[in-house]
Amino acid sequence: MDEKQKFRLIVSEVLQIEEDQVTDYLSPEQVDTWDSLNHINLIGVLEQEFGLTLATENLERSQSIPGLKALLAEHGIHV
Amino acid sequence: MNDNDPTGQPLDQAQAVALLDGVHAEPTLVRMMQAGRQIAALREVLGRVSIRIGCVSSFTFEPIKPALELQALRAGLALDAYVGPYGQFEQELINPSSALAAFKPDVVLLAIRLQDVCPALYDSFCGLTQDDARTMLDGWFDRLTTALRTFSQRSSAYVLVQNYDLPASAALGIADRAAEFSQRATIGDANEHLAALAGELSNVRVMDYDALVAQHGRVHWGDARTALFARIPIGNKHYWSLAGFYVRYLRPLFGLTKKVLVLDADHTLWGGVVGDVGIDGIALGHDFPGNAFVLFQKRILDLYNRGVVIALASKNEPGSVEEVLEKHPEMVLRAEHFAAMRINWEPKPENLRRMAADLNLGLDSFVFIDDSPVECEMMRAALPQVMTVQLPADPAGYPGLIESLDCFDQPKVSAEDRQRGALYKAEAGRRAFQEEVVDLPTFYRRLEMRMILFVNHAAHVARAAQLTNRTNQFNMHTIRCTEDDIRRFIASNDHELITLALMDRFGDNGVVGLAVVQKGDDAWIAHLFLMSCRVLGRTVEQTFIRWIAERARVAGAKCLIGEFVPTAKNKPFAGFFEDCGFRATDSTGDAQRWALDLDAADTKIPDWMTVEVGG
Repeated sequence: MDEKQKFRLIVSEVLQIEEDQVTDYLSPEQVDTWDSLNHINLIGVLEQEFGLTLATENLERSQSIPGLKALLAEHGIHV
Repeated sequence: MNDNDPTGQPLDQAQAVALLDGVHAEPTLVRMMQAGRQIAALREVLGRVSIRIGCVSSFTFEPIKPALELQALRAGLALDAYVGPYGQFEQELINPSSALAAFKPDVVLLAIRLQDVCPALYDSFCGLTQDDARTMLDGWFDRLTTALRTFSQRSSAYVLVQNYDLPASAALGIADRAAEFSQRATIGDANEHLAALAGELSNVRVMDYDALVAQHGRVHWGDARTALFARIPIGNKHYWSLAGFYVRYLRPLFGLTKKVLVLDADHTLWGGVVGDVGIDGIALGHDFPGNAFVLFQKRILDLYNRGVVIALASKNEPGSVEEVLEKHPEMVLRAEHFAAMRINWEPKPENLRRMAADLNLGLDSFVFIDDSPVECEMMRAALPQVMTVQLPADPAGYPGLIESLDCFDQPKVSAEDRQRGALYKAEAGRRAFQEEVVDLPTFYRRLEMRMILFVNHAAHVARAAQLTNRTNQFNMHTIRCTEDDIRRFIASNDHELITLALMDRFGDNGVVGLAVVQKGDDAWIAHLFLMSCRVLGRTVEQTFIRWIAERARVAGAKCLIGEFVPTAKNKPFAGFFEDCGFRATDSTGDAQRWALDLDAADTKIPDWMTVEVGG
């Protein structure tokens, strides 16, 4: 599985949505289940599964798919 | 992950256990989440006891909930969990119409951190005086005491309160230890105060959270990012351990404590296969790997000494294992420590089934430890209710495995717990003995039975009442008595309470029978006559009635009368009076009266029985 697939799978699992709903521009407003707790969950899973640590200031700005993608890109992971 | 939605499919017990074992082996958020999707199926098959748990906390507790539900199911506990919003614990406990109150919990988990209610003790300690700290803590404990007392008035739920963890680094640095006003001592004192408070409130128990954090390492327990961003102070890699910690305290409250540890012999108690290398070839001694096995045995002996029943299931010739148990100088565990031993070539699940029947304990209270992945797999498939633990490949890891077992935990270790091993061994002795019977009188003589009879013995009131309530099979009239009823019999001039204790070659059986007789001038009437089914079939009951008959005769009575009332359960009593030479007299409905003419009665005590009067 490549990183892009892994990322989509993780987001769909945590937010409990279909994989094809994980579009490049998805944001919390569009997803009922993307509340602050699930966001922390998402960060936690991404960190565990990709083996990285995200700085606290980034936890706020990463609350969208573009935000997460940018954050992961900073760590050399391109999804 | 697959295309099928796994959430709707039912699981059998073995699959459910395997799923949760998988999470336990690698408790990542993803695995917990995936297992969580199947929570309904897991509850269906693993939930032996269902309870409602209300979690109130001073931090964001929600992320812990999935782990808590799964860890609870590993222990057989299905949780219906309410998680209150953080920081509202006082309203939840005090307000009679709070969401917590409406939830009607069986247990309340109070996850309150001292860092959250007395932050200055952690964040600004060096600027405080001892009085400041005292005032702060007194204030906090007043609030807590009020909340707990108010809650306890309305609810009989258990309240499990976690205690306060020490900071990873003392605010005063290395000066803290010797300081007169020490941060560590202050928090330690707060924990003592909490323990004392719990001591005053019968439904409140303290959970040693500080010990948990220390065990994992204070430095890496917390996560500053999630703490500051979302008020989740605990690192997500510890959610599983924290949940396991809470379950450790829940388990004994609901009868889910494990009771029996079954061990393999080869590669478990010692290195090597004794059948192949002989008693001198096994690894057991002062150097590695032998010393790992010795240490492992010491840990198990410690479990034995706190009341865990130890048993052995080994595929071997019995002689080989028994020789090691008896003769090897480095063995820590000996035959006396094993309440049951099944050394044969049969499948181990079958041996465990038989052990469960012999010990009269459910298989769901068994833990099975083996080095062989094949044996473990077979056990998991055949008996998923048994907790199967495979030993690590390296014997150095063996002692630590025993330390990590929290399933035997009880809130207190009693004197009875410490005796349990000996009691079970005595029972095993009796059972084995019965299997090699010769003729009956010889069998009875070999038992070396000693009956001690007590008349109107006040110290037996509680036990007597208990016997009347628990004895169903060998019970003449099945009259249930309270302790007050028993005391009335003792106090009455016309009545006698006679209690019977039995000792034999294997040990003390305790008080196992009783009779209550009414002493008339012409006739004595037995109103109660019962005996524990554990000691039936050894002439104890016949000797007892003879002794009472003789006592009646000496007192001048002509006749001893009893009345048998049949129930669904007391068939074992049915032929007793007739066998003892009583004749049937009148009957009323189901009740049949029987009478023994004392002039002609045989009241001789058999030669194999020693009878004493105690008290």
